[in-house]
Amino acid sequence: MEEKKRFKHTLISIACALGFVATEPALAVNWLMLQGTEDPAASSRAEVWGFIQADYQKDFSDPNTSGQYVPPKLLGPDLDAQSGFNISRARIGVRGTGFPIDSHINYFLLLEMGNSCITHCASENTIARMTDASITLNYIPGARIRGGLFKTPGAEEGLQAIHVFDYIDFSEPVNQLLLERFPNSAYTANLPPQTQAQLQGGVSLNGFTSPVGGFRDVGVQVFDAFDVGKDWEVSYAGMIGDGNGIEFKNSDGEYDKYLYLSAEKKFSGKGPKAEGLKFFAWGQWGSRQLDNTNDSVANLKKYDRDRAGLGVRYLKRPFRATAEYINANGMIFAGPDKPSFTFASTNGAEAKAAGWYVEGGWYIPKSNFELDARYDTVDLFKDRTDDHTFSKWTLGAQYHLNPKTRLTLNYEIRNYECTANTVPCTNANKNLDGVGNKVALQLTAIF
Amino acid sequence: MLDYFRAISMAFFSMLIMSGATSALSADQSFADYKYVLHIDDMDPGKQELILNNATNLLDAYPPGAVEIEVVAYGPGLRLLFDENVNKKRIESLALSGVRFSACGNTLKGMTGQLGYEPKLNPVAKVVPGGIVRIGELVKQGYIYIKP
Repeated sequence: MEEKKRFKHTLISIACALGFVATEPALAVNWLMLQGTEDPAASSRAEVWGFIQADYQKDFSDPNTSGQYVPPKLLGPDLDAQSGFNISRARIGVRGTGFPIDSHINYFLLLEMGNSCITHCASENTIARMTDASITLNYIPGARIRGGLFKTPGAEEGLQAIHVFDYIDFSEPVNQLLLERFPNSAYTANLPPQTQAQLQGGVSLNGFTSPVGGFRDVGVQVFDAFDVGKDWEVSYAGMIGDGNGIEFKNSDGEYDKYLYLSAEKKFSGKGPKAEGLKFFAWGQWGSRQLDNTNDSVANLKKYDRDRAGLGVRYLKRPFRATAEYINANGMIFAGPDKPSFTFASTNGAEAKAAGWYVEGGWYIPKSNFELDARYDTVDLFKDRTDDHTFSKWTLGAQYHLNPKTRLTLNYEIRNYECTANTVPCTNANKNLDGVGNKVALQLTAIF
Repeated sequence: MLDYFRAISMAFFSMLIMSGATSALSADQSFADYKYVLHIDDMDPGKQELILNNATNLLDAYPPGAVEIEVVAYGPGLRLLFDENVNKKRIESLALSGVRFSACGNTLKGMTGQLGYEPKLNPVAKVVPGGIVRIGELVKQGYIYIKP
């Protein structure tokens, strides 16, 4: 608790100090600014844009000795097959400055129509779901105010725009700790592993009643970016939100808090591929309600959900490198080694976790090819008898057909295991031992 | 002695007038071989970049002093010359290279009425009474009219 307060106070102090040393506001090319603002006096009234991501994936995992599968061995969001084609994302949005001669106000709207856990993991599947709807007020120098539904300050993989993400799947720390699955309001029992026949016969391993959080929340954020010195740009963001992802409700009546700070030495360029060396740190503090008693009585109990991270990103063509460390306390998703969608206190509600990733890319000169590699690892239920480690290598190649269209090929070498030498791990590893490698090919078209 | 003094003074003042007048030469007194008026009245952000690219390319295409360029903005295109415009530094750099930027006074008045305050313009922009009138004047003086 003390450590959490110290980290939060440190972030707040640095953000305040920046107000005294910063010079003029900068038109930054960082994600806070790219997603939350428009070019002043140079934006459209309504710019329509979007992207489609179509992919083919094949998972080479083996079932357990009873011929049964657990979610890590199946393709999301339906979790009923190990290979197939999918439209994982199909988003259309509009953004701009509604009254173009007044740059004080801009908006951002985005709709998801792809087949993912945004549209197909809740109790009711939907054809489309709104992922972003925000308005930014740019009246106070140094303190822009953004309100609505939008991406929360957090890990780089979550905060950045997915259509320019260099990999197909998120790293395990981000997927497990930040791409939030929300507990159901009523007690929900575990589901055991299922055979292929059972899955294709209609049994669903998706037992959530809410969609994934999508790295988003509904709330209000204060943020801005400043030029400091000759080449540096410093950004900050502070946000409070309902803590229910892309759903418009506040289940526990409390508000999640988010803080973000970055300092980037700018090299060149603008937009999503601006070159620079960025250092960043962030924190998220909130709580969730969970009923983990198997009776007909609603026994909702509140659990903390805290996340924090720090990292560095370097981009100067032809090379790119990113590293990030993420720490988590509470509400650790307990699903992957058994199809459980509870966070029961014996599993993840009061557990800790930590993970990190390192990745790099090489834009092959005088070609449209790019090579990527990432290693990531997350330690779930740290220091417990069911301590899990999920690690993987992702080897990737991309071919840029044009600046807006690319093919991405990823090959994942996965190693998931329960690492403690105890009975819980013996059972868990009966399912995890068969987790194999995965290959995926994705076509991204941005318009 | 008096004649000598008068001659020196005449020469001195002539030099002053010539050096001071270089920057205040009207368009029809220009010595440039080529003269272009670039017109923007479009809201499209892409047009802003295009017109600045046009100005840059024209400067690059001719020897120094051989080309004169004036950008005239009116209607929604006046946004290009707002002080907050994302292209502000580029505009100021072009102005240092001799490109002139004219802002339509009629449009400015209209926008003031809509906003309730007068938008602040880039300091390098000169307000002309009417943007379309300014274009007409320049064309009459032999400027080549370009509208990207």
